[in-house]
Amino acid sequence: MKKNHSIGEKKTARIFLLWIPLILFLLFLLFPFYWTFVTSIKPAEELHSLKVIYWPQHPTLDSYKHLFNQFNFLHPMKNSLIVAAITTLVSLTVSTLAAYAFSRFRFAGRKPLMVLFLTNNMFPTVLLLIPLFTIMRKLGLLYKPTSLVLSYTTFTIPFSVWLLSGYLNDLPLSMEEAAMIDGADRAKAFVRIVLPVLLPCLLATGVYIFMQSWNEYTFAVLFTNENSRTIPVALKMLVGQLGVQWDLITAGGIITVIPVCIMFFFAQKRLVAGLTAGAVKG
Amino acid sequence: MEIHRKRRRGSGIWPYLLLAPALIIMLSVVIVPIINAISMSFQSYNLTRPKKIGFIGLDNYAKLINDSLFWKSLLRTLIWVFFGVGCQFVFGFMLALLLNKSFKGRGVVRAVSLIPWVTPGVLIALMWSWMFDGNYGVINDVLLRLHIISDKVAFLAKPASAMPSVIITIVWQGIPFFALMILAGLQGIPGDLYEAADIDGATGLKKLFYVTIPSLRNTIFVTTMLRIIWVANSVDVIFNMTEGGPAYATQTLSVYVYKKASSLDMGYASAMAIMLMLVLLVAAIPYLHNTFRDQEG
Amino acid sequence: MCATMVSAALAEETTIKFWFWADNDAYAQTMQEMIADFNATNGKGITVVGEQYPWDGGGYSGNLLTAAIGGGGPDVATFKLTATPSFVGNDLLTPLDEYINNWEDKDQINENLYNTMRTAGGEDAIYVMPWNTQVLYVYYRPSMFEAAGVTVPTTYEEFLDVCAKLTRDTDGDGKTDVYGFGMRGSNGGQEPWGCFLYAGGGDWEHLDSEGGIKGMQDYIDLYTNGYAPETAPNDGFAQVIDNFKSGLTAMTIHHIGSSAQMMELFGDDVAAFVFPAGEGQWTSMGDTETVMFESCANKEAAFEWMAYLATGKGQETWCTVTGNVPVAARVQELEQFQSNPFMKVSIEGSPVAGILPVLDTTTEWISNWPSVIQQALLGQITAEECMKTLQETLWAE
Repeated sequence: MKKNHSIGEKKTARIFLLWIPLILFLLFLLFPFYWTFVTSIKPAEELHSLKVIYWPQHPTLDSYKHLFNQFNFLHPMKNSLIVAAITTLVSLTVSTLAAYAFSRFRFAGRKPLMVLFLTNNMFPTVLLLIPLFTIMRKLGLLYKPTSLVLSYTTFTIPFSVWLLSGYLNDLPLSMEEAAMIDGADRAKAFVRIVLPVLLPCLLATGVYIFMQSWNEYTFAVLFTNENSRTIPVALKMLVGQLGVQWDLITAGGIITVIPVCIMFFFAQKRLVAGLTAGAVKG
Repeated sequence: MEIHRKRRRGSGIWPYLLLAPALIIMLSVVIVPIINAISMSFQSYNLTRPKKIGFIGLDNYAKLINDSLFWKSLLRTLIWVFFGVGCQFVFGFMLALLLNKSFKGRGVVRAVSLIPWVTPGVLIALMWSWMFDGNYGVINDVLLRLHIISDKVAFLAKPASAMPSVIITIVWQGIPFFALMILAGLQGIPGDLYEAADIDGATGLKKLFYVTIPSLRNTIFVTTMLRIIWVANSVDVIFNMTEGGPAYATQTLSVYVYKKASSLDMGYASAMAIMLMLVLLVAAIPYLHNTFRDQEG
Repeated sequence: MCATMVSAALAEETTIKFWFWADNDAYAQTMQEMIADFNATNGKGITVVGEQYPWDGGGYSGNLLTAAIGGGGPDVATFKLTATPSFVGNDLLTPLDEYINNWEDKDQINENLYNTMRTAGGEDAIYVMPWNTQVLYVYYRPSMFEAAGVTVPTTYEEFLDVCAKLTRDTDGDGKTDVYGFGMRGSNGGQEPWGCFLYAGGGDWEHLDSEGGIKGMQDYIDLYTNGYAPETAPNDGFAQVIDNFKSGLTAMTIHHIGSSAQMMELFGDDVAAFVFPAGEGQWTSMGDTETVMFESCANKEAAFEWMAYLATGKGQETWCTVTGNVPVAARVQELEQFQSNPFMKVSIEGSPVAGILPVLDTTTEWISNWPSVIQQALLGQITAEECMKTLQETLWAE
């Protein structure tokens, strides 16, 4: 740090470089969420009003009660959670291995394979649906969470492999080499040195995979039934031919968002620098 | 040199073993559907006329070259991707830098910054089209109150404003993605690089361009490339907000493919999808080149 | 001997897998209750398992097709007539003629309705079982009519005139606050638009006739003259209804399905009339049917359930809750349907109600309709060009 900064200057700098941009960002990112919430607590007569209402005069939690009692929203939430968690675990494990191979080895067929992983996600899913449905049926997986896990991993793995190999390529090799010179074999060097440093990246990739499977609709609508429905399908039920059930769908949105945010709040503590520095110095 | 020696050492069967699980899961599921889709592109494959299904060679591709809607949709895809991903990246990067600073309540801010990405896709398009609504949308109300506009704007019903509106929506949804990915990458930059820069007397901006960005090079390349592919293929935001309208103003190629596939003209939809894939591959060449060149030295 | 065999056969448990969509969660609840009632009362060991799928702006039909082609479709499903060609073309549906002809309640349903179903399936058989219908009519706000000093129009010219007069600046700020007509320029708008097509003098076979072009021009004029909200090109069903509910529009076209929510909101201050005649007169008959899949293992049992929905207890319950027009004569005669003013208008409109030609081009034509109409509304193409495109794409090949 330059020594000639006075404390006052630092404070102003912090206001302009941190707080103001941060508040602008939060305004943009959170306003739609606020709007969703306000909609969810508006009573029917305030929902359809020509005047824009920023805070309802008679807020009500009826939509939430309805959602949990009659609509049984906890059930699709549980299904989504199971599918997303398993998908994340499976994708992350196999992707890390594959990414390590791509990043740390040079072998015949490496480039074509990397391109293959990339093209996999370039194809629109609508065109794959009918044969995929047939495959799931023949495998006997239809309407079981496994069918979703399998289809989601198909699309999250290639993406995660690329992401993780990108991160791995950015990590300096010197640490691994140091460890390997010290006599550790590759597997040990990976577990002891690379994995801890890669943790923030694994976390970010994991969040990505989780979101993809948490929010997916096209496969979910076909591969689930009443019993295995996930959140996006349940929410879509609230948009019928007679319009949108605004109160319920927004309440459902709020309820969907909150647990994931809480989960991330605890997970993000791993998103801190220092691991690398420590590893290098250590 | 040392690095490359290390990287090559111990190849043999190991890389294939490490790749096997990922490849098996991926290919076992999609290989048949993808081959099927490629073959459909050479057929007259309209499910409303199943009796007429049959190979027609390159007819779908010939038809597509003469389809002005195809070319216009391709152009709109470029606009959609350029502005959509571009803004996501710039703002996502800025947000990542902010969230990497230490301040009170950082954990909470980080968690809530993720909200747009967590919001179910079903709801995103619904909420934003409601907010953009030309009659009682809150955006019109705010702009009126701030005297930025004097008359309500029918954002989604006018060709000129429909595209910016859907782009704002996708940018909103994608900022957290870049923020999170770059934030994670930032944690991997060795602290001593910054210390060295400090000793050299580098200012914040210089550190950004000489330390942060070069250190994140691969991360930046990979995340933008993946995001380009994702955004180019995304349908739900546009389709649920405007259905590609008004008067095709927001019809990107993927929306066109989706509409064709929904009206069951699978052959033509597949041909267009394959063209989109080729375009994306061409777009990915600089990225691939960078990734490969960088590593081969 | 014979009797014991029959009862043994009937006692055998059969399960019928049934797909349906519901327009809101209360209707979904009703359907599950009907299924429970049928399972408890059919006395033939039939168990219907109902599975709800999202309507998804019509995506329902696509999902149903994917599942059926993929070999995992249901036995019976709720259905939209326009989807018939692709299902029949892929040999997925069971012809119902034999079941209907041997069915005691056959005459409960009007012969015309059967004919419509037969036409949709390509003339050779009935694949689609009538369930309920909705006739499009014009909703209006009597209070706004009174304020504008107009009465219910009896001719098409009067209707256009009323649209203009109802468009008002109520607070004197120089901006329109109430629009005469809530126009649907997006998804599904072809149905209300058909009223204008016929009133102008065109018809589905001759979209680009002089009359058809006139109807289109009137439609464009309503928008460009500012008698419809500026948002009209992007307004789908939800927006049109929300606009009407919030008092932004004085009239809009929809069917009885939304009457319950309208009455809840406006009480007496909402009423309806049949879209008036111009050169011609037509209104859209919305429809919901059921179909039986060829893959169904126990077709007799499946038909029992379809019959329960068409003329049995299911017909009465469903139409009572959703407000749809019953197809069974017996149910139509019930007091609750006879006394409902919106039902009266629906029945009044029935003689001029029809459906779009169901061709193998129809699905794609419907999905393209908004883009073409939007171009015309926004002045990118003329009414004539618009109608030519629509004619060529509907009657291609």
